[in-house]
Amino acid sequence: MKEKLAELRLIGEERIASASTVAELQAAKGTLLGKKSELTELLKEIPKLDPALRPEMGSAVNELKNHLAGLIEGREETLRLQSAEISPDFDLTVPGIPPASGGLHPITQMRYDLDDTFRSLGFEIFQEDEITSELFAFDNLNFPPDHPARESMDTYWLMGHDGGRGGDRLCLRPHLTGASVRYMLSRKPPYRFVYPGRVYRNETTDARHERAFFQYEALIVDRNIPFAAGKVMVKGILDRVFGRDVPVRMRVGFFPFVEPGFEIDMGCLVCGGKGCSVCKNVGWIEIMPGGTPHPNVLRAAGLDPAEYTGFYVNIGLDRLVMMRYGVDDVRLFHSADLRFLSQFR
Amino acid sequence: MRISLDWLEDYIDLPDGVDIQKLAYDLTMSTVEVEGCEHSSEKFQNIVMGEITEVLPHPNADKLRICRTDVGCGEIKEIVCGGTNLIRGMKVAVAKPGAMVRWHGEGGLVEIKNAKLRGVESYGMICASSEIGLFDLFPCEGDAVIMDLSNFDASPGVRLDIALGIDDVILEIDNKSLTNRPDLWGHYGIARELSALYDIPLKEIPAFAPFNDTAARSGLRIAIDAPDRCARYMGFRIENVSTKAASFKIQSRIWRVGQRPINALVDITNYVMLAVGQPAHAFDYGNIKGGITVRVAREGEKLLLLNGRELSLSSEDLVIADDDEAVALAGIMGGAKDSILDDTTDVILEIANFTPLGVRKTATRFETRTEASVRFEKGVDPQRVELAASLSASLFTGEFPEMRITAFLDNYPTPLVPSPITVSLDWLAARMGKSIPPETIRASLERLGFDVRIEASDLRVLAPSWRSTGDISIADDIMEEIARLHGYENFAPEPITSAFEHPINQRDHELERRLREYLSFRCGMQEIFTYPWVRDDFIEALSLPKGGMLQLSTPPAPDERCIRSSLLPNLIEAVSKNVRFAELAGGFAIYELAQVYFDRGYAAKQDEREKLPEQRRRLAGAVTGAADDVRDLFRRAKGIVENMPRLVNMEPVSFTRPEPRPAWADDTVWLGVTRSGKTIGHLALLSKKAALACGIKQAAVMVFDIDVDALEPLPSRTNKFAHLPEYPLVEYDISMIFDESVKWGDIEAAASGKKGPGDIVREARFIDEYRGSQIPGGKKSVTLRLVLGSDSKTLTSEDIEKSVGVITKRLSKQLGGELRAG
Repeated sequence: MKEKLAELRLIGEERIASASTVAELQAAKGTLLGKKSELTELLKEIPKLDPALRPEMGSAVNELKNHLAGLIEGREETLRLQSAEISPDFDLTVPGIPPASGGLHPITQMRYDLDDTFRSLGFEIFQEDEITSELFAFDNLNFPPDHPARESMDTYWLMGHDGGRGGDRLCLRPHLTGASVRYMLSRKPPYRFVYPGRVYRNETTDARHERAFFQYEALIVDRNIPFAAGKVMVKGILDRVFGRDVPVRMRVGFFPFVEPGFEIDMGCLVCGGKGCSVCKNVGWIEIMPGGTPHPNVLRAAGLDPAEYTGFYVNIGLDRLVMMRYGVDDVRLFHSADLRFLSQFR
Repeated sequence: MRISLDWLEDYIDLPDGVDIQKLAYDLTMSTVEVEGCEHSSEKFQNIVMGEITEVLPHPNADKLRICRTDVGCGEIKEIVCGGTNLIRGMKVAVAKPGAMVRWHGEGGLVEIKNAKLRGVESYGMICASSEIGLFDLFPCEGDAVIMDLSNFDASPGVRLDIALGIDDVILEIDNKSLTNRPDLWGHYGIARELSALYDIPLKEIPAFAPFNDTAARSGLRIAIDAPDRCARYMGFRIENVSTKAASFKIQSRIWRVGQRPINALVDITNYVMLAVGQPAHAFDYGNIKGGITVRVAREGEKLLLLNGRELSLSSEDLVIADDDEAVALAGIMGGAKDSILDDTTDVILEIANFTPLGVRKTATRFETRTEASVRFEKGVDPQRVELAASLSASLFTGEFPEMRITAFLDNYPTPLVPSPITVSLDWLAARMGKSIPPETIRASLERLGFDVRIEASDLRVLAPSWRSTGDISIADDIMEEIARLHGYENFAPEPITSAFEHPINQRDHELERRLREYLSFRCGMQEIFTYPWVRDDFIEALSLPKGGMLQLSTPPAPDERCIRSSLLPNLIEAVSKNVRFAELAGGFAIYELAQVYFDRGYAAKQDEREKLPEQRRRLAGAVTGAADDVRDLFRRAKGIVENMPRLVNMEPVSFTRPEPRPAWADDTVWLGVTRSGKTIGHLALLSKKAALACGIKQAAVMVFDIDVDALEPLPSRTNKFAHLPEYPLVEYDISMIFDESVKWGDIEAAASGKKGPGDIVREARFIDEYRGSQIPGGKKSVTLRLVLGSDSKTLTSEDIEKSVGVITKRLSKQLGGELRAG
């Protein structure tokens, strides 16, 4: 019987230690200590033994019973703390469940980034209608009467509204600048505002040219603004968009509605200004036009150019977004292709 | 435009050892954008003058020869060559190992290496002109003819561009940056800029000495019938000339900047144009009947151009005509009748000024842009005719020492008179943020040809004629000249200072942003942008009325003439494109917020002279999913619109069924979106018919379309705080079977409607609907969750059972509901 007890002790300890769930442990408990267990059977055998042996064997069986019960209790506590549902094989490499999968268009994202920057500088945000007249698209902006941009090969004129001149001749806006005059006509100076929007040109499209594209215009008008103040605006924008110090240079450029006019270049971020294929080996990339509003534009806005001056920049958003993400075809922005758009969430 | 440094040095002495990169940079910053520099030393690297000392037969090939060639420093190399004109003593171009050449003048550049040709080692190659890009300058027949350079003095071993006198640096200038500077369309103009930038003198082109007027005029008759389109016409009759080749200097110069040499007469006119930017035209006097008239063309008048194309003209075109007919398209291209032929000996040299708009219109209509028309389109000043005449006279004298000018006439009806401009020095300093000494200003402006007087605190400026065709007219233009010559880099950034009275509060702008952020970030929708023009087939597929839509005069495509009065056609087109992608088969959600336009409601805005059509901002979205789960799709789309007012902070909207149903909507699944009693949009399932017509076969599409201008942002957040319940709430779910015709709205009203002060029902929530095998046909099982609570005590189970009992009884009595077993 002693050998039997020793064997049961070994088997019991082994089963308890190997139970990996509470249920397994309960099953082991039944097998080891239940009514039909071998230990219970042994206990029943004791009265049949030699009386001299009974006390010793009785206490040995009970000792084993208590020993196993104690082990079971300890094991049960361990198992409960481990939480029965989590297996040690739990796969930690399974991907997380993504939150709702929507997003802003990458152009909108860029636009809101710029809005935030300019708002922090005290600029208002302005938006206007997309259909405008020759009066605001060209006349007010000092475009000469015979400027090529006024022709239908460049601008989308509206059928039935394309015969007249000035206020009667309507088009999808070819740029945003015209509506700046609208803003100024309906408010009192000084002005400090940005004007985001989409513009339209009758062009042949390719990877770098689109018929519909986004501009972002900023204009400040007050009594004393030397054109060098524009450098601060430009730098503010680029530092924000690219998240680092971007070198900027202003060089001569011509646009009818500014005088003086500038082409504003940023240092090429790909090569750091050393020259590469992206910047055509010059180290600089043309990023936006800018300048002081032409006196005729200020006059159209009801201001005296002898008294007021300002600074204007017009940023091509598509180009900026293309540089931000390395997008190589501008037409993707209007493709509505979710395989493209979903990359910018 | 290509500018030759060698040519520039005819007009200015650039500082010794000038750094080309620096020069290109300075021009870019202050004048025009230099896009690149082309060095002949790079192009002709390892290509040298060689002299053949011996021509030997090739042991293994009949058509090849072995040329012993002196390649400099007494080095004689053996070169295998297939040229047909190889002889001893001939000077040839040798491409040494490492040179880049174009095999037989075709394909890309390849590097020359030492190689065995039919078993004989060859040191590089002896070149045909087409192989090293010199064909236009040394034309020859057949690619087996080697360039014979025996006429050139250079010794063997000299790099070929130096040997030929064509070593140069070419600046590539971006034409776009020249648009407003017609004075820069030639070497002389660029030289003038450099003279101002570097403060070095500009050399004058010696003036043509006008000769006896009376004698000359008798020989030539020139009438300008359209003085508004031709400001000046100068004509020379030059006799005793020929169509021999021009001198190598003229040929090589025009060739270096991109023109193909033709003959001395044509080359001189091209040279003049490339030098001073003034087009010139020479034509055969022998074919001219009577005098020359500059006139408007007759309707339908025919003109055969020298390129062989026949034009049918209109009264918008200006022509040069003799007494019979039009002989040239003014400012654009000569005609076949007056063109220079091989036997020409007697020419008229035309140096004229045509106004920009007419030239541009005609050139555009006939799609004939030429070097001349491009220059006239920019506005050449009529004064420049004289500069061109002077240069022409000296070139003709040089090329044809025996020529005679037998007639000359200058018809210049209204000479250009530049107006004086006054610039206040104080104003200048304030606008530039910097004071520059007046004497410095005067010196730099004078280099550009301005006449400047300093009077007390003002500058009185007279612009030169070449800057007076629109470029310079006001004080601001003068400021730009001063600032750019001073260098924009030399102005330090200035802080922006400006006082503002109000903080910025732009509710309407914020509404738009909140709508986008709500849809994108909370509703999981992707924003898209589509074009404003719409395809006809999508308008038809959605049965939208075409009548109210505006149209483009020159649409991007014939079937995209309409610009949208609804965002739906392009939105649905976007859906139809995306449903094709397998990765999106599970469904997706997109939206666009943009403007639409209507052919109605014309009104002035900021200016009385204007009449603009009605334009409104619109928001349209599409949620796609499986066609067999329309109920779920409907609930998702409805949830987006339903929760919009609260989460976007705007006045509430509600759902109604205002007739008529939108034509594109399903008969049953459609709702109107209403605000203050007005329908401002729709929420509906795209009808099967419309979906199929748009090419959407599998998916179901829920659409919403809302007038954003009819939404009203709240002045502030307005929802109120509700006290937290003092006693715990209890939730109790019940499932009941109803007829299909019973609506949730009625169930909710019956379940949650308070019937007395003791009623403890706070809310009845929809959990789900079930139809299946255990539910009889025509019925549905609805599970709702009752939220129960009291303000005065914790509910007991008796309270709960009693309340649930009352509600179930009410639901069966009013709506015929039956409690589901289990």
